[in-house]
Amino acid sequence: MKFSFFHLMPYPYLPDDFDTAYDSASLTYPNRNFDPEQGVQLYQRYLDELEYADVLGFDGIAVNEHHQSTYGLMPSPNLMAASLARRTSRARIMVLGNAIGIRGNPLRVAEEIAMLDLMSGGRVDSGFVRGIGWEYFGHSINPTKSRARFNEAHDLIIKAWTSDEMFSWYGDNYEYRYVNLWPRPVQRPHPPVYIPGSGSTETMQFCAEHRYAYMSVYAPTKIVRRWFDGYRSAAADLGYTPDPEKIAFSVPIYVADTDQRAHEEAKPAVEWLYNKGLKQPRQLVQPPGYVSPGSLRGMLASGLRGFAAPYEDIIANGQAVVGSPASVAERLGELHEQLGGFGQIIGLFCIGTATHAQVMHSSELFAGEVMPALRSLGVSAAPAP
Amino acid sequence: MSTDAPAEDYLDLSGSGRVHLFRAGAGEPVLFLHAAGGAGTWPEFHARLAAGFDVIAPDHPGFGKSDDFPEADDITDLVYHYLDVLDALGLESVHVAGGSFGGWIAAELAVHSPHRVRSLTLLSAAGLRLPEYPPADLFATPPEKIPALLFRNPPPAPSPDAEPDIDAVLAAYRDSTALARFCWKPFMANPKLERRLRRITAPALVVAPDDDRVIPAQHAKRYAERIPGARYAEVSDCGHAMYFEKPAEFADVVSTFLNEVNR
Repeated sequence: MKFSFFHLMPYPYLPDDFDTAYDSASLTYPNRNFDPEQGVQLYQRYLDELEYADVLGFDGIAVNEHHQSTYGLMPSPNLMAASLARRTSRARIMVLGNAIGIRGNPLRVAEEIAMLDLMSGGRVDSGFVRGIGWEYFGHSINPTKSRARFNEAHDLIIKAWTSDEMFSWYGDNYEYRYVNLWPRPVQRPHPPVYIPGSGSTETMQFCAEHRYAYMSVYAPTKIVRRWFDGYRSAAADLGYTPDPEKIAFSVPIYVADTDQRAHEEAKPAVEWLYNKGLKQPRQLVQPPGYVSPGSLRGMLASGLRGFAAPYEDIIANGQAVVGSPASVAERLGELHEQLGGFGQIIGLFCIGTATHAQVMHSSELFAGEVMPALRSLGVSAAPAP
Repeated sequence: MSTDAPAEDYLDLSGSGRVHLFRAGAGEPVLFLHAAGGAGTWPEFHARLAAGFDVIAPDHPGFGKSDDFPEADDITDLVYHYLDVLDALGLESVHVAGGSFGGWIAAELAVHSPHRVRSLTLLSAAGLRLPEYPPADLFATPPEKIPALLFRNPPPAPSPDAEPDIDAVLAAYRDSTALARFCWKPFMANPKLERRLRRITAPALVVAPDDDRVIPAQHAKRYAERIPGARYAEVSDCGHAMYFEKPAEFADVVSTFLNEVNR
């Protein structure tokens, strides 16, 4: 099992009337509520936490991209990764990922990841995401082109990384007469690719075809199981069983010295994440054309709803893992079983309103007591369904 | 009102897909281009119009029962699509009328091929970029708030407890996806359209409801100013849903205009 410390870099200071006064934490939540002085402190704190995870022995430290949101303060994950590249020495630097569906110029992403790969001595993992629905509103990108833009940007980036001859690119979405990447990445053939999925069958197939790591986003266990099974079965259709490391379970994790203390401290933080940070109306999450008819039918039939839920349900549904080191290890082992296996845990340790001290202590306990207990899990291939 | 059920037909367009259309009535041909809503239906307004005219009401690409025509992804493609439709129908020229999104297509068609448009009727048409008066963003509006934007007097809302019909949700998502394909950016507009409106030669009527909460009335007024010789009319006590909210009034205004043009 590999373990990563994932950060969302939330802006946790919401007004008391947030629940009633605002219908979304993203896109339309007014930026007058952002205090730059607090922002200065938050970036220092969050980067410290990621750097500390490297010291603690996490295999990876992970950042991602979000726009116009209190949920995550990383419009540019590559800026965060650049900072981490020079301040860490061991952990993989996981960019999970660049939202290539909404980028105007995907060649720029190829260039930045290549730079990061060199700056970090080949420690970069490159995630690609389409971008959440609201980001298609925010950056005025047509969501009906999302899949096509994502696929084409991906193909262009991979070719730019791997070609040692200049080439031209004429696609439906992008045109370049001169592609000649300087610098080229150091990892061969290119940095490992991760793709977070949230139920689109197209994403599962895409991952399986390219043998990329498939990473879940936060959802109830039975739904994540469907996604992982979808990925495994897409791989089986192609005649192979994915390596466990290619299946990454992503979940908020909070560890304290006792179960009671862990739940007391985690409850407000987890509730903030699901009920405030992820408050996002459906029409902003799934703008027209963002999901295919087949995937939408699957999502409606599976009963996937919004994120808001009581704490107890979130815990019971496996959307957060909270407890003493022993309880957290046991629960993750149980989820490993229920999800049909995975070889990576991508933990969100800074959950919502959790304090710096809480995040540091939780990470220490996880690295010191949970990781050793689970290290041997998920190293053998899970059988395809 | 023509009480006959309309004929339903499919036009095959040179291998790229099929267009579903309704057709009823007799007389001068009127190509009616539907709004964002209303694809695949034959509402009262259409039936009233068909009392005096040969009304042809196709579903746009990706809407209603028409195929996707995925190669079409901007307003110019829609203009060529409707030129293909007219060719397939064997009609050299027609009266063209359209509501909202369909009104935008109608205006573009009249700009592109003035000789094929006997008259032009725009019902609160989208298509102009007036940054001071942007259209409401229905894509970003919660579904339960949409009726209040569309209607001056919204119909009663369905029970919130009603279990959603997955097929109905998928059909609505398909229509909305088709709309977004053509309208997301530039948003509901062709920035070049306004200065091209002078090319229109057909007699034109611009109609607006008096309480449009989706496309501000300034759009209709600007159309009326820029289209040579255009007339302007208002329907009172009515929202953007127009011919769904006041079918008799809209049918009356449009029929009167078409009859005058034909005299």
